[in-house]
Order: sequence, then C-alpha cells, then structure tokens
Amino acid sequence: MESSPLFNHYPTSKEIYDEMYNGNEIRPHYRKLCDFLSTFPTEELSKKEEMARRLFMSQGVTFTVYSGDEGIEKIFPFDVIPRIITAAEWSYIEKGIKQRLKALNHFLNDIYSNQFIIKDKIVPIDMIYSCEHYLREMHNLKVPHDIFVHISGIDIIRDFDGTFYVLEDNLRTPSGVSYMLENREITKRIFPDLIPQNAVRTVDNYPQLLYKNLAALSPRHQSNPNIVMLTPGIYNSAYFEHSTLARLMGIELVEGRDLVVDNHRVYMKTTQGLQIVDVIYRRVDDEYLDPLVFNSDSMLGVAGLMSAYRKGHVAIVNAPGNGVADDKAIYIYVPDMIKYYLNEEPILKNVPTYKLEDASERKYVFDNIEKMVIKKTNASGGYGMIIGNAATEQEIEDYKKVVEEEPRQFIAQPIISLSAAPCYINGKLQPRRIDLRPFALFGPSGIEIVPGGLTRVALKEGSLVVNSSQGGGSKDTWVLNS
Amino acid sequence: MLSRVANSLYWMSRYMERCDGILRLLRVNYAYSQDEFDQFSWRPVLMIFSDMQPEKIEQTKYEGREVLQFMVTDKLNKNSVFNLVSKSRENARSVQDNVTKELWQCLNDYYHIIRNEGIGLGLKKEDPVTVIDALVQQGMHFYGTCEITMARSEGYYFMNIGKYLERAMQSVDILNVKFSELNYSLEDRSDPTYWKYLLLSISGYELFLKSYQSALDSGNIIHQIVWNEQFPRSIIYSVKRLKQSFETLKTDRNSDAYKALSFMIGKLESDIKYSDAKDLEAKGLKEYLHEIKQDLLAIGSALNHYYFAFN
Repeated sequence: MESSPLFNHYPTSKEIYDEMYNGNEIRPHYRKLCDFLSTFPTEELSKKEEMARRLFMSQGVTFTVYSGDEGIEKIFPFDVIPRIITAAEWSYIEKGIKQRLKALNHFLNDIYSNQFIIKDKIVPIDMIYSCEHYLREMHNLKVPHDIFVHISGIDIIRDFDGTFYVLEDNLRTPSGVSYMLENREITKRIFPDLIPQNAVRTVDNYPQLLYKNLAALSPRHQSNPNIVMLTPGIYNSAYFEHSTLARLMGIELVEGRDLVVDNHRVYMKTTQGLQIVDVIYRRVDDEYLDPLVFNSDSMLGVAGLMSAYRKGHVAIVNAPGNGVADDKAIYIYVPDMIKYYLNEEPILKNVPTYKLEDASERKYVFDNIEKMVIKKTNASGGYGMIIGNAATEQEIEDYKKVVEEEPRQFIAQPIISLSAAPCYINGKLQPRRIDLRPFALFGPSGIEIVPGGLTRVALKEGSLVVNSSQGGGSKDTWVLNS
Repeated sequence: MLSRVANSLYWMSRYMERCDGILRLLRVNYAYSQDEFDQFSWRPVLMIFSDMQPEKIEQTKYEGREVLQFMVTDKLNKNSVFNLVSKSRENARSVQDNVTKELWQCLNDYYHIIRNEGIGLGLKKEDPVTVIDALVQQGMHFYGTCEITMARSEGYYFMNIGKYLERAMQSVDILNVKFSELNYSLEDRSDPTYWKYLLLSISGYELFLKSYQSALDSGNIIHQIVWNEQFPRSIIYSVKRLKQSFETLKTDRNSDAYKALSFMIGKLESDIKYSDAKDLEAKGLKEYLHEIKQDLLAIGSALNHYYFAFN
C-alpha cells in the first residue's frame, strides 16, 4: 500500500513520536485508514479537502476577523486525515482526566471554604492570594452539588516516547467542542462509510449529556427548567460555538442585555414579558459577569447576577472563580492535590514545571533557556509565551526583563517534542505536531467524557504551537471501539 | 421568545424583502432604459431608494451602469443589495439557534455570493439582467426555505410581519417612483411600455391582463397595486397578511400591546379597503400614498415599542 504516492517520503525520526508510524511500520490501528487512503488518487483527496472547505464556509463554521470596518470570514483550518486513538490509550486518558478533575474540584471547594490544603502546607498561601483569578466573592458560597468544574477541557500531549502528559487544565470557559462535533460531521460527508468500517465511537451525544447536567442544577424542582446560554455576542470569536451548542441543546441563546435581575431572581425579556431563568451556561468571563461585583464597565454581564447566585436562585456554569485552579503556577501542585485529596498516585503526568518566583529555579531556567518554554500563568491561546530555541537573543533578553519584574506571573517548562500525526499537505502526507483536548462533563451523577475531543495541529512545518490564533488547525479525532 | 430575537428575525426578513423589491425595481428600470429614445433618468429611483445627495444624483442620473453598481454592490450605500444582504445575515447570525440550519445556510450562501467580485463586473461590463436575475433567484430560495423549513411559531410570524410590512412600503414606493416623475397626475399621458415592465418585474402582468383586459392606463395600474386582493404584491394583500400574522401573537400575557397594534393594523386595512378611485382622486394620489406610508411607519414603531423594546 505504501506504493501510493501519498505515502512517499514520509519522514520519521527517533526524536518525535509519530501517531501513525512506528519506525517504518504502520501502527495496527492506522492500517485500515491507510488501506483506504492508498486506494485514492491524490487529486481525489484534494477534492475532498475542497469539499470540506466549502461545507465549513456554507454552514458558517467560521470566525470573523475584523480589519477596518469590514469583517472577514475565516475557517478554522481542517485537516482531512483523522487522528486515531486506540481503546486502550483512551481508557488510560479517561481515567487520568477523571482523577485529575475530582482533585481539582475538591481543591476549589476547599480553597473557597476551609482551605485545609493551605493549612496543611501543601500549597503555599501566597500562591493563592497572588492569583488574579482567585475570587474573594466566592468565599463560603455553597455551589450546587459542590461542583465547580462542570465543563472542562484538559490539554494532553505526548512526548518523544509516547508518554501522555497534561499540558494545561482549562476550567473556566473552554472552547472547541463545537469543532469536535463539526469535524466529525464533515468526516462523515467526505469519507462515506469510513467511520462504521473503523468502529469509531460516537461523540454526537455531547449536547444531550451537557443538557442533562445543566437541567440537574436547576434550583426550582420542576421538569422543565429554563436553561439559557449566555454569550458575549456575535463579535466574540467563539460565537459560532455558542449558537451551535444552544441549538443542539434546544436552549435559548441570550446576551447580557436580554437578562434582568429583580429581587434576586434572574429573568429574560421576552415578547410575552419577563420569564424566570434557572440555569445559566455562561461563556462570559468572570470579570464581566456582574458589573456590580466585578468590572463595573462591563456591558456583557447582568447587574445583580451574583446576588441571585448567592441566594441560590440561579445556577451558574462553570462556577465563577475556577481560574484559581487552572492558573499555570497552581498547575505545579495538581499532582500533590491528587495525593492530598484522593490518596492516589496521579495517573497522568504533569510536564516538569519551574516556578520563576524561586530564584534558584529562575537561574536554572535562564541558564538553559534554549531548552525552555516560558509562559504567562494567566494567559491562553498561545499568547505571552516564548520558546527558547525559536526566539532571537534580543527577544529573550527583553522577555527576561519582564519576568524579573513580576516572576509570579511566569512559569517555565522544558520544550516537549509534541507527537506528530500525518496531515494532507501539498498532495502528500506530512507529519505535523498535535495535541488533544478532551471535553469532560462533571455532573451530579459523576464525570463523563465523550470519547475523543479536539485534536489541534500546528500546520507550519516544525512548529510546536497548535493554537488557532497562531496558525493552528484541527482534525477529526477517532477513538476506536476495540 | 426573547424580544431581541423577535427583533432580529423581523429585521432579517424586512431586509430580504427590501432587497427583493430593490432588485426587481432595478430590473424594470434597466429594461425600460433600453427601450427609451430619450435619455432615461434614474433620478426617482435614486431619490426614493437611496440616500444619495441631490447634487450627486444630478451627476449620476443618466449613468445606468453606475447606478446599478451603486444600488447593488456599493458598500457605502446603506440600501445597497450588498449591505441589505449583509445586515440580514448579521441578524440571522445573532439568532442562529432560532432559524433552521437550512435557512441560515441559504442566507450565508447569499452573503458569499454578493461578496463575489463577479457581481460588480457583471453589472459593469456584461448583461446586468443576468446578474440581477441570479440574485432575485437567491432571494426566492430564501422565501422557499422559510416556507418549507421554519416552524409555525412566534419566530415565523415575526418574520412574516417584517416581510409584509416591508412589502407594503415597497409597493407604495414603487408607485411613488413613477408618479413623482409625473407629478402625481392621473391624466393618462403615462406610457404603456413602462407599466408593462413594471408589472412584469413584480410578476403582475398576466394577472393584470386577466383582470383589466384593457389598455395599460395608470388608473388600472394603481388599482392593481393598491386594491387587487389577488395580487401578492398589492398593498391591500400585504396589509391583510400582516394582520393575519399579527393575530397569531394573541396571548393572555401581553394583551395591552396586542390591542394597541391590532387596532392600528385593522384601521389601516379598513382605510384601504373602504376607499376607492374616487376617494383617491379627491385626496390626491400623493397624499393618499403618503398617509398609507405614515401608517405603516407608525405600525413599525409600535412593534418596536411593545414587542422589541428590551433595553
């Protein structure tokens, strides 16, 4: 089958774990897909790629980039070759994420109440109070069912030997799940029959799982609670995702200006007058939620929302204040949290991480900067980071100065050689670096993770940055049934 | 339904209706300009359907191709087809979860078509009728998709309210375009060719021949566009459908709003229905059309006040 020109000159190396090749051998779980692809003339694949592009465009699966007064529609680049995960790999990842989320949720409950973990000196107190996402307003606020992290996206990567690591936890308003769903729909269209032939596990029930969890949080015990999705509006880059999820769950998509709080209850303004709201799945950041409590300039939130929440009249998902648990400096302590709260050994490893606040660690990092990535603790989207072997000396010197000023705001990690997966680029398969973001739902009846997630790809040759804002794309992600 | 959502659906629909009206109007005027011996003036079209400055209108009124581009692809013209489609899509986008996926895709496709540079080039260098017809077709696709896929619930009726309110206004304006040129005189010195094209462009020519079997005089044209209940673009038809759509919104929860609006719509319907050519002549065509237009605008603001005011 490697006679097909698609597979010509596919480079592999010992320093990079390739998801498809083991040396020169194709891994067993990729074999069916390779057989299928090798029956394709290459120009046929280009047609499929064009078809995928048109489908995304006509369905409006786009984000808008504004330049001047005109918006330009862009597609989140999609690679047609799926990424495949075996059943065994998946069950390992799944166990690891569940364990991690349990611990993180305990941590949030603890940190906003008794703070035993501080008293027992597992996490230093100044790490908490110096975190800008720590919300005093959440102190001693009883959240429904003790759940803070209803919806999360845990970013997982593989090193050169195939070991899985958690790169970061996203516990605030993680995005990308709509792309997981759309990518699967597109694969069904461009490669008919391929999914059943490979026995790929379905991701389609994500909206129903999410709806079930949201409904279970309603403070009014009635069969038909009013659940809404709160979006910052059509100018938000994730707006497509907000409207897709609202549609798939059959709930109302609201903006801050559609809601009003009266006597500690939240209502939405309808053509039939005011209607009470029970559960809010919000995609608005903490600091914009309620201008009376947080950022008073915010037009995106609802005045009085936090008081209604405090009274227990409305459920907010995710709970405010989760940022203290997915801070990149707190990340260092997650393995300790797992031991502390669960008395278990961590299943998924952390990437070794250096606190730059610590003078000796900082010196070590600066001395070995060509092997390091330095990141801001509260930034995401691939912003505010520097990769030691890819930056110029001047950039590094400038960055060091910024770090010296506020070392708490930075951490460093050794450069991990992300695993690679085949992508269809310029008429043949070429390896590109990937990560994986599975989406976990934490409800009153436990944690559920739909098999798969979003595989992000660094489409530039040699690049290690997979974020969409930095030229990344995505792939359909298959978890095989056996 | 959220007030904001109702408002967006209403405007999505109004913009599409306006877009259709403008395209048809451009088509008839262009076709007519190819028949005229004297220079054809686009002045009334520009006066009524754009906010072009009077001096600029004087400069452009004989430049058919330029006018077409201005009315279809110009980004600075608020009422260009380009901007109407963009605004309609923007409204749909903000309520994507309240329209069917098919309807959203249809509008989204229209948006990508109107952004294509080929449209401007076609209007400039090739046969503009081909370009306009293709766009009108895309609009028909929108109407069909609405009818076939949208659930018959509040959203659909707000869309219809927008559509028929806009259509009634368009029909008033279409009469204004020609009669303003004739100084609203009903003397029969108007020209049959224009009326024929006008009727053709709004698919009313055959019905006209069946209904009036006579020469294309202005009295009959006015009758068809104002009072002919069988004609789907007549003012009376549009107002009746507006009323029907509005009546579905009646509930116990919002009776004040319902009463106020149903009074206004019912009154307008009666005013038109129980007036005839003599009343019109007595009042003068200009005044008659002006009153209808004012009533339609008042209904628009009342909807805004009672149903969409969410701020």
